[in-house]
Amino acid sequence: MQPITDSGAFSPWEPGIFSLSIYTVIVLVLISILFFLSSWLGEKKPGTEKLRAYESGIIPTGSARLRYPVPFFLVAIFFLLFDVEGAYIFSWAVACKSLGWAGWMQITFFIIVLLAGLIYIWKKGGLEWGPCLKKD
Amino acid sequence: MGTMPEKRLMRLADSLNPLINWARSRSLWPMFFGLSCCFVEEATAITSRYDIARFGAEVFRPSPRQADLLIISGTVFKKIAPVVLRLYEQMPEPKWVISMGSCSNTGGMYDVYSVVQGVNQILPVDVYIPGCPPRPEAVLHGLTVLQEKINKQEKPARSIFHLGKGIQGTVKPVLTDRQTKSRDPRGPGMEGTGIRGTEIIPPYFPETRTELMWTPEPAKIELNEQDKSLAKTLEDRFGSSVKQVPHTSDMLTFNVEKERYKEILVFLKTQHTDKYRRLEDLTAIDESARRNRENYPDYTMVYSLLSLETGSRVRLKVPLYGETAYTKTITDIWPSANWYEREVFDMFGIRFEGHPNLQRILMPHDWQGHPLQKKHPGRATDMPPYTLADAQKNQPRDAGLFIHQADSDNEMILNIGPHHVSTHGLLRYIVTLNGEEIKEMEMEIGYHHRGAEKIGERQNWHQFIPYTDRVDYLAGASNNLPYVMAVEKLAGIKVPERAQCIRVMLSELFRISNHLVFTGTFAHDIGAMTPTFYTFREREMVLDIVELITGGRLHPSWFRIGGVASDLPEGWKTRIDEFVKIFPERINEYESLITNNPIIKIRAKGVGKIGLDNAIEWGITGPNLRACGIDWDLRKKLPYSGYENYDFKIPTAQDGDCYARYLVRIEEMRQSLRIIKQAAENMPSGRYKTDDYRYTIPERKDMLKDIESLIHHFVNVSRGPKIPKGEAYASCEIPRGEQGYYVVSDGLGCAYRMRIRTPGFPNVQVMPMLSKGWSISDLITIIGSVDYILPDIDR
Repeated sequence: MQPITDSGAFSPWEPGIFSLSIYTVIVLVLISILFFLSSWLGEKKPGTEKLRAYESGIIPTGSARLRYPVPFFLVAIFFLLFDVEGAYIFSWAVACKSLGWAGWMQITFFIIVLLAGLIYIWKKGGLEWGPCLKKD
Repeated sequence: MGTMPEKRLMRLADSLNPLINWARSRSLWPMFFGLSCCFVEEATAITSRYDIARFGAEVFRPSPRQADLLIISGTVFKKIAPVVLRLYEQMPEPKWVISMGSCSNTGGMYDVYSVVQGVNQILPVDVYIPGCPPRPEAVLHGLTVLQEKINKQEKPARSIFHLGKGIQGTVKPVLTDRQTKSRDPRGPGMEGTGIRGTEIIPPYFPETRTELMWTPEPAKIELNEQDKSLAKTLEDRFGSSVKQVPHTSDMLTFNVEKERYKEILVFLKTQHTDKYRRLEDLTAIDESARRNRENYPDYTMVYSLLSLETGSRVRLKVPLYGETAYTKTITDIWPSANWYEREVFDMFGIRFEGHPNLQRILMPHDWQGHPLQKKHPGRATDMPPYTLADAQKNQPRDAGLFIHQADSDNEMILNIGPHHVSTHGLLRYIVTLNGEEIKEMEMEIGYHHRGAEKIGERQNWHQFIPYTDRVDYLAGASNNLPYVMAVEKLAGIKVPERAQCIRVMLSELFRISNHLVFTGTFAHDIGAMTPTFYTFREREMVLDIVELITGGRLHPSWFRIGGVASDLPEGWKTRIDEFVKIFPERINEYESLITNNPIIKIRAKGVGKIGLDNAIEWGITGPNLRACGIDWDLRKKLPYSGYENYDFKIPTAQDGDCYARYLVRIEEMRQSLRIIKQAAENMPSGRYKTDDYRYTIPERKDMLKDIESLIHHFVNVSRGPKIPKGEAYASCEIPRGEQGYYVVSDGLGCAYRMRIRTPGFPNVQVMPMLSKGWSISDLITIIGSVDYILPDIDR
């Protein structure tokens, strides 16, 4: 197998700010082309009906901008917390061998702390979701 | 010279058209607007048997935001037309429209006051799929035709490159009555000439010879000891305010004074030994068009009750007088009377003192007149055409007018339906939500009101049979049975054994077919997609058998007064045997998929509970009642059509929740299969139609041989038989519960009053009770488990 020797400024194998910024620029240009094309090609005929919210074919009553009940936020926050857990565990799993036992110990501690948090939320009733009839 | 590059640009754009059209025609994103029977065939088209994915359309969209094709399938009602129009207008560009089924195309057989005579009066239509209902294959063909049309006729490139002109889906002017569209049933160009024959408008219509025909008296039943003792008790207790009707064809009947009928109802419900606990039906008759008018009041209120202990029925008739008649409400005796009384108010204009919410229920809130009054026009073609302007003007009522309790800070009013995937038809739930929890709920029905009862007053006795099929479009031929039985009861027609056996076999096949749809959709409502594909596979097998026997799929219209339309064809037995052999294993498959599925259990157990007492009070029937722990089934308790000869069980469950309702139906399929097996094995020989040809359409071979049969054939297929003056009620256990027909004859070729008592109406009235306090997702489960169907609720 040929060793990778090419180490120019554009090399994907050599981390460097220059290639990253080129990459970013390409992504931005591509996205703006796509956005432009779809907005220019797609014909728009705005009308009162098209701008109205869809609610099973009926004109909606009142506003949808309400004070949401707390459970919605709780669930959103719990989701964020436990989703971040995934990001750490996956990145640990990728480099699991080179991190060795020390890394293993650290991620175990991390998971245990999170589990403790989950149990705490559970006990506190944070996961009790749904209408009152289901609770009894 | 400046035009040269422009021309080149145009040519370039033109050459791009085929490419764009190719892409568009192969990624159709259809949105269903499922209004009635056609929708079931449309839904069948998206199951695994039909490969709809080749159109890029394997998933049908529920919302206009995601769709470029609107498929309007079924009857377009005046009450729903504004919603159809709104959805069309909310679609992005490009957009196309397919109009599916004869009802959607022209109004079809539903030329009645509530139906729009063709969706093309309010929307531009690209493709028409004819048929009533079209087969699933026809839906696919319609899509192919649309693809061809897009490929050949659309010029999208100029439009999307901003070069001017070009089109984005079809935009053409809607048809206008009498200019570009003819509502004459004979087609365009006939406007100048009058329609031959006469309109049947009671009391008199010229040149009818029905008046000259002689018929025997209507059938008379002998009352049993129980009925006699009840009659005596009532006479002793209430004296002259109760008068027993001497001649009845179906059940014990009393004429009761308006002042005392509430007392009598309370007595019958609570104090009498038989305890008539169920309000079977409540309706009215407009007597203003009777032929001997002097013998009748202006209106008659009809209350029929049922005793679950003894299985006996009793009917009370209360005469009402005056142009704007009124009487007292009985909602304090039976809560289920709420909707029934609203319906009578809506249809007849009779008011009820003390009713908590006396508003229109079936007709739009701004409708003029009361449709079941004799003076109200019956045909839509007799009324001004429904146009685009009407659709823009006649909006559904605002949800805020239904629910007043909403606390504006935390609670939100949400419309679920009429056009919504989960409502199983056009039904509008208006809920107040706190988070996900349902705090208040109201319903609006009538989006599917096809005026079946009014049609019954103008079609002759035979012509009405196809309309009964469509009352509960998933129950097919089982719908014919209560109607023909009511007429047979009234006229005293004896049905041969073979015909009865065939009727039972077909009814049970349709019970299986219906429960298969239920099983699939119920699981689908909870979130499981796979069961639908399995159950529709077996449903197609059932429908294939039905097709072999009757020639029809959804609506065979195959039962006749006095028997069935024709004898069983060759090879029917082998097909039934094959099905009986494989089906038990298939039911086991569903059970392993659904019954023990932990997700389904959690979602369905304990949800949407109703107790037995409440269920009886509210008039719930069918599997939903049996899920509350009572083995009440007409097939066992009041056997008809020879059901007493079959060995089968009545499945029940105890909890009265969604899961119990599911369990009952699964087991019912097994029992139905047993009945089918027995019917097929013991099929008696003999006639398939009565030999009493006075009221029936004679067998063709007889008609060709002797003059008597020929005469009866001629008369009965043209102007229809004359059924003796009287009334009769017959009810059957159709898949969804008890469906009854109350036919009143004035001795003419058509019914004077055709009342349909459907299971859906009371079954759905309890929805707020079942779903308050549960979340939206539970509401969808409850809807699936109640298994209602809209034409059966709205008729």
